Amino acid sequence: MSAGGAGEEATSSYSPQTMMGIGIIGGLVGIYLGALLSPTHPVLSFLGGIGAICAIVWGADAVRRVASYGLGTGVPSIGMIALGMGIVASLFGLSIGGSFAGPIVAFISAATIGAIIGLLANKVIGMGIPIMEQAMVEIAGAGSLVIIGLCTVITGTFEYSAVIENVVAPGYIAMIFIFGGMGILHPFNANLGPDEKQDRTLSVAIEKGALALVVAGIASAINEGLEAAFVTALIGVIIWYLAFKKYFEFVKRDAHKVVGTGMLPTEEELQ
Amino acid sequence: MIVDAIIANIEWLALIVIGGVLISWSVHFVPVGGAPAAMAQATGIGTGTVQLAAGAGLTGLISAGYMMNVIDNLPLILASGAIGAMIMISVTMIVGTLVYVYGVGCVPASAKVKFDPLTGDRQDLYVSQGTEGHGLPTVCFVSGVIGGGLGGIGGSLIYYALMKVGIAATSAMTSDVVGLVAIFAVGIFFVNAVIPSYNIGGTIEGFHDPKWKKWPKAVVSSFVATIFCALVAVVAISQLGGL
Amino acid sequence: MEPLIGMGVLALMGVAATIAGASEDLESDVGSQSNPNSQVQLAPQMMFPHRIYNKAVSGEPPSNALMSAIGATCAVVFMDVFSLSPLFALVLGAFIAACIHGTFAITSVMGRSASQQRFKQPVYMDIIRSHTPVIMGYAFITTFCILVISYLLNVVLGHPFPLPLLAFIWGITVGAIGSSTGDVHYGAEREFQQFEFGAGLNASNSGNIVRKAESGLRNGYDNSWFCAKFGGPVTGIAFGMTVFLGNWITTVFDPVRGLGWLSVVAGALIVLILIIWNRKIEVTARKAFGPYKEDKVEEEATA
Repeated sequence: MSAGGAGEEATSSYSPQTMMGIGIIGGLVGIYLGALLSPTHPVLSFLGGIGAICAIVWGADAVRRVASYGLGTGVPSIGMIALGMGIVASLFGLSIGGSFAGPIVAFISAATIGAIIGLLANKVIGMGIPIMEQAMVEIAGAGSLVIIGLCTVITGTFEYSAVIENVVAPGYIAMIFIFGGMGILHPFNANLGPDEKQDRTLSVAIEKGALALVVAGIASAINEGLEAAFVTALIGVIIWYLAFKKYFEFVKRDAHKVVGTGMLPTEEELQ
Repeated sequence: MIVDAIIANIEWLALIVIGGVLISWSVHFVPVGGAPAAMAQATGIGTGTVQLAAGAGLTGLISAGYMMNVIDNLPLILASGAIGAMIMISVTMIVGTLVYVYGVGCVPASAKVKFDPLTGDRQDLYVSQGTEGHGLPTVCFVSGVIGGGLGGIGGSLIYYALMKVGIAATSAMTSDVVGLVAIFAVGIFFVNAVIPSYNIGGTIEGFHDPKWKKWPKAVVSSFVATIFCALVAVVAISQLGGL
Repeated sequence: MEPLIGMGVLALMGVAATIAGASEDLESDVGSQSNPNSQVQLAPQMMFPHRIYNKAVSGEPPSNALMSAIGATCAVVFMDVFSLSPLFALVLGAFIAACIHGTFAITSVMGRSASQQRFKQPVYMDIIRSHTPVIMGYAFITTFCILVISYLLNVVLGHPFPLPLLAFIWGITVGAIGSSTGDVHYGAEREFQQFEFGAGLNASNSGNIVRKAESGLRNGYDNSWFCAKFGGPVTGIAFGMTVFLGNWITTVFDPVRGLGWLSVVAGALIVLILIIWNRKIEVTARKAFGPYKEDKVEEEATA
């Protein structure tokens, strides 16, 4: 586990508002389009996964902002707490939201519980991270959208009964839980360091979201048929390839140097 | 409809909250030194608080889940959850001791107390230079076992209570109920494992550590957080009945 | 179930767990993961750039839980949709999980090194190309063994949790055990072999990791070679004992036959024995190694 960030505000080229817009709007639009269009053709349920990728990007950006302050324990902890409450809130939202309002109710209830935990962390425990409340709201909200998005990929709908039968009972929900959490926490954790750049971190978020889409696509084979599973996984692999290529370009741009092999930098070089 | 579900399950709600509070309290007992302990630079187990508490508690959840499948007896389910977690954490600690003593060659010693409160052994002389103790002296080991046990009880209590809600809603132990209840128990467990680890700043030696006295803060936070998690979880599970 | 079959299954699970534990630890040593990696991360900042794989894939528990859950999910799909035999499905699932773990490893080593640009830490492509397949290989073994344990527990011993959830929990457990036991051997000993044996790492030496090998510059292979002699096997023993003892008590004292409380007593006895064993090792170590400092107060009193 990493020791956390430098204890200061992260510098960003995309503002938190932009990222929030991408996450909420992209996430919800993806989920609804996926659920509404998949009865016409099961392949289209992959749109839910696109929504999940948007939410992962947003969540990763929120982790980046809050973890820059240093959490006292590793970066992973915040992803695990967010997904822990996200999973309870998401299934609650789907259970009472009915066939249309489900994702929105889930999102709001996740954000509410996130706000409560953020408040407790600052006011009762006294962590003293100025953006803790906002970050918990954002990460929990993003977590719930990721969970519902990936559920939509697997079942083609976000109706409670279908999600329970096809995602929760066979246990795929455990994969969604941990992949959603890792998708949100890994990008910043993987790029932790004084020269971390926002665009590089977010390209990893897209790359990890795409892999989540691949696995969700494979899992959708049971309900959606082989064709839908294959197309979804293929779309995931394509997005993954593009995002990884972009990421590698960012690495080459940001690194001291990228070498095939070589000795360590010399004493003079380090001066 | 929602209010009905909550009122009908008020006793299970209370059990879930107690379970969450127990988990939160249990984390304060688990001797974790975080990253420095992995370099024998701090007393305790060389890993993160959340991870070890989750590892132990969820192992207990596996034991409790197995027990609940064959028998409906709350004390026995709680005991088996506690034992599962205690076995996991004590095996981890004994092998950790083997590595510290024979792999790294340092004596288990605490830097927070001068004498081990349980054995009375002198500690400060055995702390090597430039470190804050290393390894697992007896007091840490016992504290860890207590922590594992409490975490196992907490996790099993949540699982048991949610399971009762599910059985009441669907009148059977179907795979839907088991899957939903188990993942909810895992989710609530993680929430209550992270909150105390923020409270102790990632490292603690056990119940003899001055940081241990901070537990009321985490327990209050977990109490409030678990109430909300429990409310939504109970409603979501009782909706299974209408499917 | 026949008690003998139960014992056989249990023995198989214990074996699989032992292999999983050992390979999990070596996977985290060859790639340098979890807590000891904080020193690899710190080194360039202290003017010690290195050629060690900086695999910062969160803590070990989440990363192993992820591999195991992915593997189990894919295995369930292959068994249900393609009606593959369980063994084949578990192998394929573990393979997909290992590939995805590889991408996590690559993004973290590249990202962490690139984020240390001001400390002039280069990204060595040969390290990435040579170490990633090894990491994936260990990840495959770990995932496959976890899947075998979960499958046996689910199908033969009749545990009610679904396969991916069981795999997820065992993944968290194996990661927690690996990062608590074997990693110490890597972090406290192998990374700092240049300092005298028999003490914890002095805080003033933080970041000063060994960067030169028996020949050439040290990399992850050298670390796993060393840790395979002690850290890896004991991690295997720890996870094997957890899985074996945890299930042994309920297999021997079957709660179905009304022996539930006896299993609890047996478990408590095991824990008690471990506490005493720990005390024995502590006393032996105190006698054999002795204190690091003289007791100043006593000296003054006698003088």
